[in-house]
Amino acid sequence: MRTFSGRRSVLPKCNGVLSGCNGILLEGRKIKRTGFFPAFFGGGILAAAVPIVNMAVRSEMYLGLQGTAIQILMDANWQMMAMLNVLLVVSGACLLYHVEHADGGLQKMRSLPIREGSVFFGKVAVMMLMCVLVLAMEAASVSFCSWHWFKGQAGGGQWRGEGGNMFAIELCKSFGYAFLLILPCVVLSFLIAEACKNMWVSLGIGVVCVFTATMLPTSSFVLSLFPFAMPFQVFAGMEAAWVTRFACAAVVEIVVLGGVERLVVRGKGAFE
Amino acid sequence: MDIMETKNLTKSYADFVAVSGLNLHVPKGAVYGFLGPNGAGKSTTMKMFLGLTKPTSGSFTIDGKRYPENRVEILREIGSFIEAPAFYGNLSGEENLEIIRRILGLPKSSVPEALETVGLTPFKKRLARKYSLGMKQRLGLAGALIGRPPILILDEPTNGLDPVGIHEIRTLIRSLPEKFDCTVLVSSHLLSEIELMADYVGILNHGHLLFEGTLEELKENAVSRGYPTDNLEEMFLALIDADNRMPEKRMPEKRSSKNWTSEKRMPGEHRRKGGAG
Repeated sequence: MRTFSGRRSVLPKCNGVLSGCNGILLEGRKIKRTGFFPAFFGGGILAAAVPIVNMAVRSEMYLGLQGTAIQILMDANWQMMAMLNVLLVVSGACLLYHVEHADGGLQKMRSLPIREGSVFFGKVAVMMLMCVLVLAMEAASVSFCSWHWFKGQAGGGQWRGEGGNMFAIELCKSFGYAFLLILPCVVLSFLIAEACKNMWVSLGIGVVCVFTATMLPTSSFVLSLFPFAMPFQVFAGMEAAWVTRFACAAVVEIVVLGGVERLVVRGKGAFE
Repeated sequence: MDIMETKNLTKSYADFVAVSGLNLHVPKGAVYGFLGPNGAGKSTTMKMFLGLTKPTSGSFTIDGKRYPENRVEILREIGSFIEAPAFYGNLSGEENLEIIRRILGLPKSSVPEALETVGLTPFKKRLARKYSLGMKQRLGLAGALIGRPPILILDEPTNGLDPVGIHEIRTLIRSLPEKFDCTVLVSSHLLSEIELMADYVGILNHGHLLFEGTLEELKENAVSRGYPTDNLEEMFLALIDADNRMPEKRMPEKRSSKNWTSEKRMPGEHRRKGGAG
């Protein structure tokens, strides 16, 4: 029998406990062959195609409207794009936890020297990166539509000079805001996926939540705070006070849901 | 010296007590056989050692470290295999071990070595979900053995293996304390299997420790109590049967302070049958 060249007990204390970056890399390795990356890439293309197809088919409906190009494009397309984004998040969360639950991978992780909750937060970080990718694709699509259909109009189609800078800033603000508002939905989707060992149950709950969110009246601030409804908010054209309210609400929801995850992790062993 | 020690360790679920007032002493460098019928509380006890289940009351120390204060430090020293092999089906055997290696911060060579130890090298590139039951079992063992942990907790490690595989794994477990200087806590419901592997045995029934000591001590006790000693299987069955006939004995307040376990050995007093430690 061969002897091992490395031994756990002689390792320095800092080893064996995942740092944030290592946790993300590790979660990234676990996703291999699950179809997670192709799903997000395909979903991103689909969501990015929404404004292009919409403008290609009925541009005359939007070209005469008041407002900046981004405002018009987001008002016209964001509900559909946000719905696709949220569905991607829900299905992605189910997929990521399915590999943990299916063959007991999560139990193995819990018996290794990693901090409790690191698997969860590692997965949230991976999903955040994928959300950035999808939103970047969508931003590129909105930029293309703005350049192609709103060229020459105020606030649209300018790639150079001051107008270009303004457009880029508005675009970054819009999609940065969209990123912040999707985070509570990401964390809640993972909480649901972690709690349900059967992927179809968590997927079902997630889909019901998404459709509930689409039915909630947007005029009610309180109802709009439902984590699955938050991503449907549009930055462009929204009053600064409301932008701040929703941003603060999103941060509070992220902190509260993160705290719930901590409690779930701590209480887990008591009921198993 | 005891590397693992429990004090009145108890786990209960609503009105069901899975483990009751367990006082276990696992000597360093020994193979400790944890024996008991299905549902006796073996897996629950092992899960408590790994922090997978929280004790309702009582405490335990592993290598002088207490749970839950030193949870990560305890887990760093333990290689485990609980109930069924746990892995990622979408990854190959090698990739599964690579994940564990990265978490433990081990050198790259530890993966091929662990695969070689359990005889999985030819199948390292195959997806774990396509492994046979025996191969999954071996992968689980490789995950426990990687990095030569000072303590191994193996819950029925030979389940699903063919006779040749059982013999190989048994021989491997038997050799571990000497070759890797580690302590092994291995559970089974088969006395015949434990007999071939363990230096010490702990017999559990309905969450209570009926006996703890060497196999010779077990035989001596059986003789003194008039149980059959022709073979260990019958002796074990008689012991369990006697306990099952006296459920009132299991009530904590009615238990004699001089039960079979406490009569035989006080905590910390161990006579080694052989091996390291």
